[in-house]
Amino acid sequence: MAVLECKDLSKHYGNAPALNHVNLAVEPGRIVGLLGPNGSGKTTLIKLANGLLTPSEGEVLVCGMRPGKESHKSVSYLPERTCIPTWMSVKQLMDFYGDFYQDFNRKAAEEMLSHLNIRLTQRIKQMSKGNREKVQLIMVMSRAAKLYLLDEPIGGVDPATRDYILSTIIGNYNPEAAVILSTHLIADVEKVLDEVIFINQGQVVLQSSVDEIREEKGMSVDALFREVFKC
Amino acid sequence: MLTKLLKHEFRATARIMGPLYLVLLAVALGFNLSARLMDSGNFVLNMLAALIILAYVAAIIGVFVVAFILMLQRFYKNLLGDEGYIMFTLPASVHQHVWSKLIVSAVWFIATGVVVILSAFVAAADVSFFTDLLDVFPKLFEQLNAYYAFNGTAFLLEFLALMLAACMSFSLQFYAALAVGHSFANHKMALSVVFFFVFQFVMQMASGILLISLDNGAIRHLLAAMNFHVTGVAAMHVAMLGLIILSVLYGAVFYIVTTITLKKRLNLE
Amino acid sequence: MKWQFSSDAPIYSQLIAQIKVGIVTGAFPPGERLPSVRDLATEAGVNPNTMQRALTELERDGLVYSQRTTGRFVTEDQAMIASAKRSLAERHIQAFLEAMTHLDYGREEILTLLRQEEIKGGEDNGSSGV
Repeated sequence: MAVLECKDLSKHYGNAPALNHVNLAVEPGRIVGLLGPNGSGKTTLIKLANGLLTPSEGEVLVCGMRPGKESHKSVSYLPERTCIPTWMSVKQLMDFYGDFYQDFNRKAAEEMLSHLNIRLTQRIKQMSKGNREKVQLIMVMSRAAKLYLLDEPIGGVDPATRDYILSTIIGNYNPEAAVILSTHLIADVEKVLDEVIFINQGQVVLQSSVDEIREEKGMSVDALFREVFKC
Repeated sequence: MLTKLLKHEFRATARIMGPLYLVLLAVALGFNLSARLMDSGNFVLNMLAALIILAYVAAIIGVFVVAFILMLQRFYKNLLGDEGYIMFTLPASVHQHVWSKLIVSAVWFIATGVVVILSAFVAAADVSFFTDLLDVFPKLFEQLNAYYAFNGTAFLLEFLALMLAACMSFSLQFYAALAVGHSFANHKMALSVVFFFVFQFVMQMASGILLISLDNGAIRHLLAAMNFHVTGVAAMHVAMLGLIILSVLYGAVFYIVTTITLKKRLNLE
Repeated sequence: MKWQFSSDAPIYSQLIAQIKVGIVTGAFPPGERLPSVRDLATEAGVNPNTMQRALTELERDGLVYSQRTTGRFVTEDQAMIASAKRSLAERHIQAFLEAMTHLDYGREEILTLLRQEEIKGGEDNGSSGV
């Protein structure tokens, strides 16, 4: 069964369409790149799957359910901005995740944190921007979710951090789960993806496996993206 | 899930209210000590005592103001700000979120009232004037009971229930204004303020219309026809219950506005 | 091991080639247990499914074998490793010849050039030795 399914999904803000009759399905066990230029509808799609927005038309299903209380149990979401409560200490943050999510693996989180030399008593407020982002990612990846929705996980970070983030994702995701990560930095994520979905002006332009693109077109996804979205 | 939300909500708020209560009690203690020194005739000591009295009054106002601001801030920052991305993707319903905020702020309002009274005890302990004053209340109840068959305890309970309902409805009016204001793309805070006054106006109009229709309508004739014979005290109880029901209804309207807006028109930045 | 990827070929086939090189050069010695798919994938910075696919292919060729409980091992069959080495070499030569043909060199010319290069390389080695 598809972990994420969009059926004729549309969303408009007032008169401005953000998503336009999107149909797609993502199967478990895959890492999927949601690729598109800025403002193409990536974040809108992810927010809809998280129930942070309601569809204008059509529907989005997560593990067969409409987004809500139940579906949230199986989704691990990394928002595009850092939004963990800053007054908490790392320990309190882990209590928070542990209380609300049964699939939260505290040991795994502690191990990753100690790798970064982050003390459990440290407050989020006192951390650098980079460390806050990493801590949030660690919380998200320490869950054994069925669907990981990662909105721009590597936007605006330096290349070393980018590598750290990508290896944390592939090193920790639940293999029976699907990972969807949105980005416009394709060259960096290409190697970790099974599949890509190109999205432009609210419409799905292409859904294909990375190796298929390379085999059939003889070019990288990055090169294909540049060709498809040529200005 | 609601209990977990409540637990973390208390965790987030207790770190602010707890220390504040300690400050209030400490100032009350200072007040107590200074009241004993007041008549010593020493100018400096008298000045100090006066300052402490001022500080005590300021602390009482302060805890109420902070409890109020915290009620607002927890709602718009935790649910409608960046943290909303985390809160609204928890396996909890919108109703549970609103209730957890509502219950916790009501508890803090009550706790603030209790602590203020407690601080008055601390401030007044052993000072004859205040102890005398405290003796007056039980006597007052006794007298009321004896002469007018007025049930002081029941009245007190009704009064407390009314206060609680009023607190919660008051909070819900703010929640509704914030939720509706923040469902727009721009000027979220300004619109929230505007909506607060719009709601205020609408509710006033509605209650005005309700009163007029009660006065002219069939209900009046019905009441007249039923020809109630109630004592003044019973009428007081009926009036209290009526007020409680009205403020619950007032809150219910805003509860519905808040939850529907959060469900259908959530628009986090 | 250092992993590098070009942008034109499928990633799984590049992984196969690089693991083969690893086996041939002894970075993955014969009979040795290979790291888990996830560890290898994390190290190479690629998708675990792609790594899995590459290893399955190598398994089909016989260069690695898996034991149900203990994991995946490099073959101990030296002849097979040698033939893998040979085929890698042949592929390099093929590519080189193609490039030279493209530059319009004939077979004899190529061989002459190679010999000259060989002598030069020998001289370099000789001089640096002194």
